[in-house]
Amino acid sequence: MEQTLRVKRYDPENPGAAGYQDYTVEVTDTTTVLDALLTIREDMDGTLSMRCSCRASICGSCAMRVDGQAKLVCKTRISSVAPNGETVTIDPVGNMPVIKDLVVEFKPFWDKMRAVTPYLQPEGVVPEAEYFASDEDMVHLVGVVNCIQCGACVSDCTVLEVDDSFLGPAALAKAYRFVKDPRDGHQKDRLEDLNKPSGVWDCTRCMQCVEVCPKDVDPMGRIMVMRDMAMETGFNNTSGSRHTESFAKSVKKNGRLDEMKLAVDSMGKFNIPALLDSAPVGLRAMRKGKFPWKGHKSSEPDKVKQIFEKIEGK
Amino acid sequence: MKYAFYPGCVARGGTPELMVSANAVMDRLGIEREEIVSAACTGAGVLQERNQKLGDALNVRTFALAEKMGLPIMTICSTCQGVMSQANRRVLRDPEYLAEINEVLAEEGLEYKGTTVIKHFLWVLVEEIGIEELQKTFTKELSGLKFAPFYGCYIVRPSDALGFEEHPERQTSLETVIESTGAVAVENDGKTKCCGLPILLINQSNAIQMVSNHTGEAKDLGADAMVTPCPLCHLNLDGYQPKAAKRRPSGKIDLPILHLPQMLGLAMGMQPKELGLQRHIISTKEVIGKAAAAPAAVS
Amino acid sequence: MYEHDVLIIGAGLAGLRASIEAARMGVDAAVITKVHPIRSHSNAAQGGINAPMTDRGDEWEGHALDTIKGSDYLADQDAVELMSREAGDAIIELEHMGVIFSRNEDGQLGARRFGGQKVARTFYVGAITGSAMLQVLYEQAIKHDVNFYEEWFVSNLIVEDGVCHGVMAMDIHTGELQMIRAKAVIMATGGAGRVFEPSTNALICTGEGLGLAYRAGAPLMDMEMIQYHPTTLAGSGILLSEAARGEGAYLLNAEGERFMKTYAPDYLELASRDVVSRSEQTEINEGRGIDGNIHLDLRHLGRTFIEERLGYLQEVALEFVGIDLAESSIPIRPGMHYIMGGIKTDINGATEVPGLYAAGETANVSVHGGNRLGANSLLDTIVFGRRTAIAAAEFAKGAENHSSDESMLGSENARYQALLDRPADLRSAGLRREMGESMVAGIGVFRDQKSIDAATATIKELRSLYGRVAVDNKGKVFNTDIMAAIELDYMLDVAHAICAGADARKESRGAHYRTDMPDRDDENWLKHTLVYKDGEGSRVETLDVTITNWTPIERVY
Repeated sequence: MEQTLRVKRYDPENPGAAGYQDYTVEVTDTTTVLDALLTIREDMDGTLSMRCSCRASICGSCAMRVDGQAKLVCKTRISSVAPNGETVTIDPVGNMPVIKDLVVEFKPFWDKMRAVTPYLQPEGVVPEAEYFASDEDMVHLVGVVNCIQCGACVSDCTVLEVDDSFLGPAALAKAYRFVKDPRDGHQKDRLEDLNKPSGVWDCTRCMQCVEVCPKDVDPMGRIMVMRDMAMETGFNNTSGSRHTESFAKSVKKNGRLDEMKLAVDSMGKFNIPALLDSAPVGLRAMRKGKFPWKGHKSSEPDKVKQIFEKIEGK
Repeated sequence: MKYAFYPGCVARGGTPELMVSANAVMDRLGIEREEIVSAACTGAGVLQERNQKLGDALNVRTFALAEKMGLPIMTICSTCQGVMSQANRRVLRDPEYLAEINEVLAEEGLEYKGTTVIKHFLWVLVEEIGIEELQKTFTKELSGLKFAPFYGCYIVRPSDALGFEEHPERQTSLETVIESTGAVAVENDGKTKCCGLPILLINQSNAIQMVSNHTGEAKDLGADAMVTPCPLCHLNLDGYQPKAAKRRPSGKIDLPILHLPQMLGLAMGMQPKELGLQRHIISTKEVIGKAAAAPAAVS
Repeated sequence: MYEHDVLIIGAGLAGLRASIEAARMGVDAAVITKVHPIRSHSNAAQGGINAPMTDRGDEWEGHALDTIKGSDYLADQDAVELMSREAGDAIIELEHMGVIFSRNEDGQLGARRFGGQKVARTFYVGAITGSAMLQVLYEQAIKHDVNFYEEWFVSNLIVEDGVCHGVMAMDIHTGELQMIRAKAVIMATGGAGRVFEPSTNALICTGEGLGLAYRAGAPLMDMEMIQYHPTTLAGSGILLSEAARGEGAYLLNAEGERFMKTYAPDYLELASRDVVSRSEQTEINEGRGIDGNIHLDLRHLGRTFIEERLGYLQEVALEFVGIDLAESSIPIRPGMHYIMGGIKTDINGATEVPGLYAAGETANVSVHGGNRLGANSLLDTIVFGRRTAIAAAEFAKGAENHSSDESMLGSENARYQALLDRPADLRSAGLRREMGESMVAGIGVFRDQKSIDAATATIKELRSLYGRVAVDNKGKVFNTDIMAAIELDYMLDVAHAICAGADARKESRGAHYRTDMPDRDDENWLKHTLVYKDGEGSRVETLDVTITNWTPIERVY
């Protein structure tokens, strides 16, 4: 059957002509978006520029936005995104500057990878044979080494959309791979670096990276684990860790959350500038009758406390 | 249909108008409910990052309590919905894990058997009550009004935890409900993006930029208000909008943020005070006026 | 500026390993690659990497014999010995660099079985060994501050008086052509799978490295040795790793039989790849296939095992065929996968052109001879990537700085311009597809004089049509259209060399199975074929195979 693809075109040598171009191709039930794009490139319009290579979802070249969401087009069937033959819109991935058509400048992506010291740093005497490691540890890392650096997560990350200094889901997932490698001798240093601004605490937990990752790497999940590890290691002087601690304390005590206390604790009780800055918001809220003076409770807070104690052992 | 009602912490805390309007609207719809008063906070993803098992235990306890009541759970918060859906999926996929958690709950005499269904009020409207029945309760037709939907991350991702395969209509449920009132649902890029609340206390600048982007976009598209099923989003989109406005060249946004039940309440012809509309930071006066001037609903 | 001691073309496993060695030696080296290193096709290798671990009682001679037998005695035994001896250290080094190899209960490296071997000596990372290794080598290249020309397309070599002095390449981002001078060049551009259609290979595997060396005067050796992998998906040609069979999967015909017991009673599904592919094809040809396919059955391995050890296979099966390997078997057939043939090198990677070296799939040392064992390619790239860097660096030390004739750049620019200026006529993709289909038909799992002649004639015709290939894209930025046209030019040379080799070898050996000459002829053909460019055509010479310890005997699995 016939299928229309609406492809974003941009040529730096002719920027005025940028816009969407429609192509109609023959497709079957199993035709992928990449198959269709290759038909366009090879048989209809050789001016279309895109990156693609393996066609088997292992090289990571072909991430693009299909109807607004980042996907690997080699494994996206047209029939799944356009079950009723709707026009499919193809854009380059987001959050990276466009070089031409569907090709983006990946340099910021690679730079952020480099920023997390992305190679093993063992310490101590190098054994003659292999380092001993458990299969469990290695298999766990396979999940994160599955990352093919396609850029889909970075494309749709809602924090990168407003702040390109954020390390981002791909680099943080890569950092996790080393933090969790038992052979690496610099776990503490790595966590310390990741604990800084633009690191693990800047993730807004929106799950876009989890949703779009074609390899189930779960970058957000890894970031959350590193937050926990940072706190366990003793890096507690961030608003992020204070926020988490305060939240936990409140729920442990009352079964529910006390937002006002949470806000103050996160900023830091003695962080006068931040408190002052937030004062107008707080005051407005209070004037409107929000934020009851006393937090509310569950009817059986002691049962909740019991669960905390049983699981956390304290 | 009767539900085990789980309002969540913020409905009682930072956005009491949600509790008020939700109750009013649910009464009008005849939704029977019994609050799970002993339930704890879901953890909102924050507790989970400190200790996932702890967060799961608290949620599974809530599921067990509902099971005991013999009722499905209804939430009025996207975040509660998402966190609970994820927790439920985790334990249902891993019987060993569920057994571990049940061990912890045993002390209280609770056990989760895996049967609890958790639905957001938004889904209940579309799937259980149905748009036709909903429309019977409207006294106004809000034609001429434009509402920008804003879902809240936790009710749209991850898609495989939220039952989108069996219920694909959930992905457009907010637009469906908006349109049922006669209003136009304004298509906006930000509708499934993040409001920024989770990083509000950590990186305020980024959070505010998100608010500015999404409310600004909706305002520019001509929306009279933004409608959201998540009180956490509401806190940010409403509470921090004045700050966010400063990020715009014009310095202005002035887009009122309505909780989903408030929008329904307006269509039902309820009084603003009944819906807590006076409690917003961004004034709702204009949209209230427009709604009041809207024609009567054709029965 | 654009001048180095050693220039490595290609950033796959061989190229990166060479670059790391060069960096360790403090040599001024750079890598030039037409895609980002991580995108290199090495990432598609799935099953694992072989190594005899002598400290575990697995003698290197065992691996060497398996490799030599697997090669149908065409491999040069001195090269194989070297590879087998160095393998153990190579694996340990990779592990120290950070590769997350699977482990046994004692925390040591764990191994699985692979084709043509009885001993489990294939070390692996799930079913993504190539990707996992490539990532680590790239990480190490970052650590060693390797200099990359990233997304540069090498379209020609600088050869003067028969000596290689560098390359001419286009910066894909700007369209600008540059001369990059080097005292030694290492060709590590991988295989040429796209000369065949379908193929397991990525779209970038166009073999221009082979074509460039060929035109520079280096002979291509044993090009008729084309490996058809037994388990590829029909249509797309996507690969399903041998690891499945290594872990116990079965091959079944339409009658549900494990037919390999007829063809290879001892090794069954783990016979050498050429034997398995021929067996499958025979079953299919004799009517015992299912829609032209054989079935690969993993069900008995269990879901957990499949997801943990063969996760990528499950992903491919679900995404590309809609099959759950834990629930049903999957239709597969032999598909073009690897070229044992390549640029002839000595055991240190030197080609017959001074200044030009080669390593990896591009090269033919020969360690794989007439058929490559699975998991030996990854080993080849690491061992010879390293050795070649050392040899190239050594050569560079003794070589002088060389100023090349700038007019060469003018000619190369003219070549691009001719393509750009040609009005719309033939498309490169059309010619490429015809070439691909005719090569699979003519130089397939089974071949004969007729099929070889047919392929040869088609390639000749396509070569004559090449002058009519035009491009739509006349721009400078990211012009993949013109790259495809130039790649095709070299692909036709590679196809020609394959046909010439197939025609020349008058016997069957390894992957080169002629139904009109089905027997192996050690008396006359214990030799390599060497295809040299000769004017507009080519000539074939032969070279005796180096035999050290293993006398060729009948090869039975």
